[in-house]
Amino acid sequence: MDFAGKFQVFWELFIEQGAWKRVLSVGLVNTLLIAVLGLLIGIVLGTLIGAVKVMPKYKLLPRILDKICSAYVGFFRGTPLVVQLLLTYYVLWPLMNVSVSSLYTAIIVFGLNSAAYVSEIMRGGLLSVDSGQMEAGRALGLSYGSTMMQIIIPQAIKNILPTLGNEFIALIKDTSVVSFVAAVDLYKTFTEIGNVRYEYFMPYIAMALVYMVLVALITLGVKLMERSLRKSDRNSQSL
Amino acid sequence: MIEIVNLCKDFGKNRVLDNISETINEGDKVVIIGPSGSGKSTFLRCLNCMEDPTSGSIFFDGEDLADMKVDINKHRQNIGMVFQQFNLFNNKTVLENITLAPVLLKKMTKEQATDRAYELLRRIGLEDKANVYPSTLSGGQKQRVAIVRALAMNPKVMLFDEPTSALDPEMVGEVLEVMKDLANEGMTMVVVTHEMGFAKEVGNRVFFMDEGRITEQGTPEEVFEHPKNARLQEFLSKVIY
Repeated sequence: MDFAGKFQVFWELFIEQGAWKRVLSVGLVNTLLIAVLGLLIGIVLGTLIGAVKVMPKYKLLPRILDKICSAYVGFFRGTPLVVQLLLTYYVLWPLMNVSVSSLYTAIIVFGLNSAAYVSEIMRGGLLSVDSGQMEAGRALGLSYGSTMMQIIIPQAIKNILPTLGNEFIALIKDTSVVSFVAAVDLYKTFTEIGNVRYEYFMPYIAMALVYMVLVALITLGVKLMERSLRKSDRNSQSL
Repeated sequence: MIEIVNLCKDFGKNRVLDNISETINEGDKVVIIGPSGSGKSTFLRCLNCMEDPTSGSIFFDGEDLADMKVDINKHRQNIGMVFQQFNLFNNKTVLENITLAPVLLKKMTKEQATDRAYELLRRIGLEDKANVYPSTLSGGQKQRVAIVRALAMNPKVMLFDEPTSALDPEMVGEVLEVMKDLANEGMTMVVVTHEMGFAKEVGNRVFFMDEGRITEQGTPEEVFEHPKNARLQEFLSKVIY
């Protein structure tokens, strides 16, 4: 195999003809946009679903909400992400008679998908908060909702932060399927480089490296965030 | 102040409170004693509906708290509660623990609540701890903060659920001191405790509970010096105080 030749071709396209600019400014940016916004939507929606799941169930409304949330989680965990993308882009939008760009479609679907997973993480996080915290809030006259918002959810989020980091990493990697609905992400920009000379050897090695570096950076970021959280615990102790 | 009428509480098939009727008057310092499993804590927790009564009524401020239509949150603002496990909010500083409810429930502005919190903290000698998190406090300090957190709402009555049972022996005294001060100021109090010394000194009425009923009650002298009920006599003979 002519490694030198393959490298030569890649170098020419990637560096000399400036393909790296598109990889960074379009591919990387879109990949990050989809993963970051997807995670944000996932956290907000997932927290809501998780909160419904842990609600006391003796009234009718929480029971109905619980059924709806179970169906939601069941669908998004029970079908592949690619299928959800295709269904949304080629079935849901035409049915609703709207046109949504493939990038926005990807962000929305990643958010909805992530919400299903985050809701389960959040449910565990909420259950891990001592029940005495809720009792103390209620005994002071706070409603269930405000005790949740002020006391329980902040403590739950702190507990599940490392797991949310994992969810973010999973999302970053999953973005590589968005080209199914014609969104341009890292995978797509590297494939485009390959398409020029039908030479995919180097572009895909480079692509793998970029994903790895990205995930390594996120892992580091989560670690630093955890450490700073723990440090704030220590600091408060020395006050 | 609190009128309890035919209060029953079942956990599944297990009857924990058996048809209790009792009146707690303003200024009363009621101490509830009894063997474990007798329903003391459940009785106390029914008074502010932390446990929903199975049947019966709890009249407070002219409304039946056991009625599901009553705005229980409104009434709980006037019923302070102190827990065995303190239950300070772990994600809030001491000051925030105290000011959270009064500000959120619009009883006070943030400034008023902060002033009140510092005044309360001064009373228990923990002014310097205002900005630390609960995890840094000792058990006794936590419980004292928990007491003033409840007091910050200016409640009409205070419920104490075994407030010293989770404390190191050395720290029991400091918590009981705060409770005694409170009693001397005329606060209406209902206290579930195993501290017989406290019951004798502070209580004006002592309830002895056994198998979900108040089987004997009276002044501390009547209950401790001249117990009539056989189960109470046995209980007192086993308790060291």
